[in-house]
Order: sequence, then C-alpha cells, then structure tokens
Amino acid sequence: MSTKKNRTFREVATGLGFLTPNILGFLTFTTIPLVFSMIMAFSNWDLKLHNMFKPEASPHFVGFDNFQRLLSNSDFYKYLGNTLFLMMNIPFTIGGSLCCALLLSKDLRGGSKKSAMMIIASATLVASCIMLTLIGMGASAMTLLVCGLGCTFLVGGALGGSTVYRTLFYLPHFTAGVATYLLWKKLYNPRSGPINQTLNPILEQVGGVINSVPSGLIQAGLWLAIILIGAILFMGLKRLNTLWRDGDLGSGAIVLPMFFLMLPSVLACQWFPIQAARYSIAIVGGALLAVTLFMIISSKQEFDCKPSNGFGNALMLCLFLMVIQFVVIGLGIVAYKLPAMAAFTVTNGVSSGGLIAPNWLTEYHWAKPAIMVMGFWGAIGSNNMLLYLAALTNVPGELYEAADIDGASSFQKFWNVTWPQLAPTTFFIVVMAMIGGLQGGFEMARTMTNGGPAGATTTLSFSIYTEGFVTGRLGYSSSFAWVLFAMVFSITMFNWKFGSRYVND
Amino acid sequence: MSMTNATDVTSNRLVPKKFFGTWFLHILLACMSLGLALPFAWMVLTSFKPLTEVQSESWIPTSWQPKNYQEVFSVVPYGRFYCNSLFIAAWVTALQVTTSSLAAFSFSRCKWAGRDKVFMLYLSTMMLPGLVMMIPNYQIMIFLGLVDTYMGLILPAAFSAFGTFLLRQFMLTISSSIDESAEIDGASKWRLFWDIILPLCRPGLITLTIFTFMGNYNSFFWPLVMLKSQERYTLPIGLLFFDSTRGQSTHLMMAAVTMAVIPMIFLFILLQKYLVKGIQMGAVKG
Repeated sequence: MSTKKNRTFREVATGLGFLTPNILGFLTFTTIPLVFSMIMAFSNWDLKLHNMFKPEASPHFVGFDNFQRLLSNSDFYKYLGNTLFLMMNIPFTIGGSLCCALLLSKDLRGGSKKSAMMIIASATLVASCIMLTLIGMGASAMTLLVCGLGCTFLVGGALGGSTVYRTLFYLPHFTAGVATYLLWKKLYNPRSGPINQTLNPILEQVGGVINSVPSGLIQAGLWLAIILIGAILFMGLKRLNTLWRDGDLGSGAIVLPMFFLMLPSVLACQWFPIQAARYSIAIVGGALLAVTLFMIISSKQEFDCKPSNGFGNALMLCLFLMVIQFVVIGLGIVAYKLPAMAAFTVTNGVSSGGLIAPNWLTEYHWAKPAIMVMGFWGAIGSNNMLLYLAALTNVPGELYEAADIDGASSFQKFWNVTWPQLAPTTFFIVVMAMIGGLQGGFEMARTMTNGGPAGATTTLSFSIYTEGFVTGRLGYSSSFAWVLFAMVFSITMFNWKFGSRYVND
Repeated sequence: MSMTNATDVTSNRLVPKKFFGTWFLHILLACMSLGLALPFAWMVLTSFKPLTEVQSESWIPTSWQPKNYQEVFSVVPYGRFYCNSLFIAAWVTALQVTTSSLAAFSFSRCKWAGRDKVFMLYLSTMMLPGLVMMIPNYQIMIFLGLVDTYMGLILPAAFSAFGTFLLRQFMLTISSSIDESAEIDGASKWRLFWDIILPLCRPGLITLTIFTFMGNYNSFFWPLVMLKSQERYTLPIGLLFFDSTRGQSTHLMMAAVTMAVIPMIFLFILLQKYLVKGIQMGAVKG
C-alpha cells in the first residue's frame, strides 16, 4: 500500500517538476498581471496624478466609474466603429483566400511533363515576342520589368507547380510587420508614391469620360445600388425562409440575422443624398420584409427544430450579406457624387477640380480604405489560404464523382459539394478573423498614420495603447482592455456554442 | 485518405484537363503573383535609387546606387539593431521551446491530479487579448527594474501557452505504447522525455521554433513600450527611425526595409514545408 502511495507521489512530483519552469513564468507574466489588471480596471490610477513626485496622492477604488466613463464616451463608439469598418474587409480577404486555394488546388502540371514543357516554351515565346515588340516601339524599362517579372513567375510556376505560386502568395503575409507597413506608407505617398503616380493619369482619362457623359446617367448608379440592395435582401430573406421551412433554422435564431440583414437599408435611408432614393429604399426594404414575414408565418414548418438551431450559420450568412450591402451603398453614393467631383470649375481663370487621386493616408475618408487595401494584400495568401488548401484535399472524391454522374457543371459542383464541405473551415476562419480584427490595427495605426487624420484610423487596440502608455491613465485603459476582452469573449462563446453544432452538420 | 485519392479529387474537379485550361490557369496565377509582388519590386528598385530620383515616376533607377545599403549602416546603428533583434529572438526561442516542451510533456505524458484543469486554464488564457496583460506587465517590469533591458524583452515572451498547446497536441499523436515499453526497460521519465519523445516530435519543435523566432523578430508592441535607449532598439523599432527623422530619404528607408525583409523571405522559402504543416495542424485543431 505504501509503495503505491509512494509511486503516485513520485508521479505527481515528476509531472509537476516538468511543469515548474513554465508555470513559474505563467504565474508571473500571465496570472498575476491578469489579477492586477482586473484590480486596476476599478481604480483611478493615473500616472499624472499618482507618481513619485506626489507621494500624498494614492490611487483608490472607484468602482465602475471607469467603465461608465468609457461607455458614455463618444470617442469609444467612434473607435469601435473604426474597428468594425476595418473588419469589413474580412469577407473579401476570405473570398480571396478561397479563390487562391481553389486555383492552387488544381492540377497545374497538366497531367504530364510534356505539357509543362509546352507551357515553358510558349511562355518564353510570348515573353520574347512582347519584349521584342516593346523594344521596337521604344518601350519603357518599366514595362519590360513588369513583363519580365511576370514571365519569371510563369516559368517558375510551370516548373515548380503550385508550390511556387503558394510561396509567392504567402510572402506578403509572412513578411507583414513594421517593414511592410512602412513600405506601404511610401507607396501611398501622394507625390512620390507609385500608386498615385499610376492612378492620376488613369483618373484624368476617367474624369474626361465622366465629364462627357450626362451626369444623370452616372447618378443612376445610385438607383442601380438600390436595385442591387433589393436583390441581395431578397436573396438573403429567401434563404432564411428556406432554412426555416427545412427546419435548419429555429424561430428564435432567425431574429438577429434578420436584423443584421435589414440594418444597411435602414441606415441607407439616412445616408442617401436624395429624398426619393431614401423613400424608395425604405419602400423596397419594407416590402421585402413584409412579404418574407408573411411567407414565414403562413408557411408551415416542415421539420421540427429547436428555436436556437442554425443560429451560427444564419448569422454568418447575414453578416456577409450586410457587408456586401454596405459596399454597394458606398459605391452608389460615390456614383452620385462622381460628376460633381470630376467637374472642372474655372474661377478667375484658374481651372481646378477634376478627378485626382486622394492623399490616401492623410484624408479622413480615405485612410481606412487605404489600410483595408493593404490588409487585403497581406491577407489574401495568408494562413486562411493554407487552411482552405488542407480542407480541399480532404473533400471526399466520391462526392465529385457522384456530381459528375449527375452532370453537374463546375459551378454547381463548387456550390453544392465544395462549399458545404468547406463550411467548418470557413466558420473557423471567420471566427478567428473576427477575433483578430477586434484586437487588430495597432501596428498599422502606429507606423502609418499614428491614429490617423482626426482619429480616422484609431482602432480599439491603438486607443488602449495611447491611454495606457502615452496618456498614462492606467486604470481607464485597463477597463478599456477588459471591455475589449468582453467582446472577444462573446465571439469565442458564440463559436463554442454554435460552431460545434454547425461543424457536425 | 490516400494520396492517390487526393490527386484524383484535384484532377477531377478541374473540368478542363485540356492544354488551354492549364495554360490559362498558369497565366492567371502568374498575374496574381505579379500583382502581389509589385510592392516588393518597387521596394528593391527604390532602394537602389539616388536621392534625386526618389520622386521620379520611373521605377528603374537611371544610375544604380548600391552604396545606399552602406549608408544605412552609417546613418543609424543598423547592424546593432539587427544583432539586437536576432539576439532577443534567439533567446526567446530557445527558452520558449524548452519550457513549452517540458510543460507539454507534463500535460501529455505524466499523470497528476488536476492536470487537465490546469491545462484548460492555460488554454483559456490564449483567448485573452495581449493588451489586457501589457499594462500591468509593464508595471511589473518597472517593479523588477527590467525596463529598457534585454531581460525585460526576453522573459515575458519566454513562456507561452500557445507553444505548450502546439507541442502537447503533437505529443498526443505519439502512441502511448512507447511509454510502456520504455517503463518496462526501466527508463526514467526524464529519459523517456529526452531520448524518445523529443526526437519523435522534431517536426513540431521545428515548427514552434520558426513561429516563435519569426514572431519575435517582427514583434513591435512590447519593444516599443519597453525600449528607451537606442543601443537596445530592435529592428522594427529601428525602422521607425527612418520614418520620423529622415522622412525624405525614402531610398535609405527602402534599403533598410529590404534588408529587414529579405532574410524572412529566404527563411520562409527554406522552411515552408514545416511552416505550412504547422499552420494546418495547429490551427485546425485549435
């Protein structure tokens, strides 16, 4: 008996022995700070008020004051809005990653070595033809460079297959950091940056075209946007209705997705610049909502399900459609304002106006899109692409065979076989991207814009940094950090509660 | 799933197994790669430009100036920044891999009461935003007198829940029958760890090493907060130097950025096999 006790004791001792180095660090740098931070969040510790020069003042507990101040501060909502705005490119980056993964998963060697050789031969042929023509026409070194680079990639890809392209796609993500952010800051430079140097001549042409077209035609873009939003709403509501009828979506779970689906059109009623457009979007949205509600209420649910079923699935769908609608709204408004922006105005003999490329990072309305474009560049070939690639190889081949027998087109195969099979991966990626997005934006804001023109690029994390390490309001910034944690935590809980069920489907 | 099955899938899905389909696909992929690579091309080309040409529209310098790269080292102690970054990243990596593998062994191979609860505690901290811990951690560093020291950068990063998690997942895939046979042979736990388990999870260790090293080579927030004196600046902080005081010298900045990025590119090309596997393994299971 005593030997057994001795043995268990020894096992516990060795187990803890192996753990000791790590757990010491874990306690010192994770657990203690965690408790400390929780206490700080409820104190009024401010380095301006409480420092070694003022020993008589000491921080004390203020209860929920910090949280109250934070949640009643309009800046907090602005920064939250910025963060959510930047998160709008999540669907696009994920879509881009999926496209890359789909292209890369295809058999690039063309079945045999012969065709690879053919590819190389034809690529070299085309490249040399282009080069010869260009030199004959006095091509700039720039064009040659682009062609040469493209051909190098082509030949590399033909020789090395998808691994070469995968490496090239992944590099922007792998190198992402201060170095590439500084690079993009220079790329966006309004005078010396190549982006505006390329854009300005193009925009001049475009501006000429716009000026020659009657302005009503371009402003019709706004109406096109309304029609598009109507179509997206219809699609989304129809899908929700189908899900509900098939018993994949519970009656309780349908409410919040529906809210997010309708949100853009409600906001569009405020944002659209002309009265008639506001009324029509309100009418379109209201009519669609009414019809769907009628359909949902009148159609009998064919399968029983719990009220909370299918929440994750429907919410993801509606969030995605919401972002698309916001983009359409933005484009519609731009289309409406375009003629005015492109018009030349001549005052005192000096003509001004016309379309010019924006000063990306220093203009309030352009700083966020600029950062999103950079984010897209970095995220298209990221870990998401690798995850999708792994998931694609795990799709059972029999499913494609069955689809082939049924005579499915390649789009049908994607939509009915590939996409549902990828659903768990997509869910995981979306949740991870949302968690990352909420905490993100610090490095870009610090290196590129320093919070950006009038706080346009200040995200939650950058704001916590400035409060805590620049202003020195430790208590306030701790409570801010905990509010951020609460948001991240709720997404994680959402994943935990609805993700697993969705994945098991 | 066997390998043949997987290739079947890929060739089946692709409708055009025809020559032109593949050809078109290659062109498309090459164009996409080109689009993604253009910023890098501009970076390298600009780094060779003389100051007078920085504003010009042509990407190609008319006179190539490799001495920009030398100048970077004379303008700022760039070599010093480089060494600092490598030194810190190397120490963090060594410590983190050691502590993580020990803890992972304890969590996967030793039996002790409350083991799984402690592990859940570890896992749950991975969810916390780093920012929550940063503010009190800085106060702890002040208390320990480690602000603006190498130690202050290395120590907090040396213990990671993620590394423990990754290696534990890896160790769980190794069959436990090995343990039993080792025990019958009279091997101690330490021998089991050192001679059997560690060599078997070499791919996992390599993956963690790359992740940690790259993460710390690139790390920005903590050094930004902790470092005050220039001789301890790491590379990301040093790069900011070009941004603030020498806004005009784009060519020097690009030379510095190129030198910061190139090693990463090579490292990635060399080790991508492990990285890709690690990402696919670690993330899917997380």
